Amino acid sequence: MASLSTTSLSFKAPSTRISQVLRKGSSFQSVAFGRFASSTSKTSLRLQISCAAKAETVQKVSDIVKEQLALTADTPLTAESKFTALGADSLDTVEIVMALEEKFNISVEESDAQNITTIQEAADLIEDLVQKKPAA
Amino acid sequence: MAAPFTLRKIGVPPNSANLTEARRRVFDFFRAACRSIPTIMDIYNLQDVVAPSQLRFAISAQIRNNAHITDPKVIDLLLFKGMEELTDIVDHAKQRHHIIGQYVVGEGLVQNTGNKDQGRTDFLKNFYTSNYF
Repeated sequence: MASLSTTSLSFKAPSTRISQVLRKGSSFQSVAFGRFASSTSKTSLRLQISCAAKAETVQKVSDIVKEQLALTADTPLTAESKFTALGADSLDTVEIVMALEEKFNISVEESDAQNITTIQEAADLIEDLVQKKPAA
Repeated sequence: MAAPFTLRKIGVPPNSANLTEARRRVFDFFRAACRSIPTIMDIYNLQDVVAPSQLRFAISAQIRNNAHITDPKVIDLLLFKGMEELTDIVDHAKQRHHIIGQYVVGEGLVQNTGNKDQGRTDFLKNFYTSNYF
């Protein structure tokens, strides 16, 4: 996975989407990616740096975080914002992880949950778990 | 669908050695409670009354109510009582109106009248210790 993400760093934004499709293989249809290409233009720059999570997942995570921390609509919320910077204490972080568990129907282990500090990490972890789940 | 969560009843564990372990236990308890929420909603038919996120908020509000405590033994005792309450609820030992009245919050409930031990003045605390202050 590490080698694949470094090769995709050299691609431009539209190709990043295609390389994600190739990596993830048959579980996702390319039609779905086409749908998100236009709505996620502002997140495509970040996807060049950490290409492991779909923008849709990041958006869902951001919505849950906003609702949980009661943030106003104009608070700047990027994929790299830390929960503590947004005013969450440790209990809030656990609550966010539980809300994500419910929303995505996954089960996050405690060891994994310790390492989540930003929205991007949460989205990556969710992607991993969602992928592993149908295979189990 | 994630594997359904069952609350395993274990005996009383030994006291936490330090605040870090007590914190860990608090978060474990919170996770156990949140994972039991679908079961609770199913048992007491709360689907139309409350959303899971509101129940999560109620649980975290109660935990936050005691967030200022630093003694690990006190935290252990509070967790024990919390676990007892959670077990009662999951065992259907309570009834729907209990759950709605206690957690689907209404105004003026005892639990909502602020933190314990925080008076506006220290008058009563001094009064309890001696007559002269």
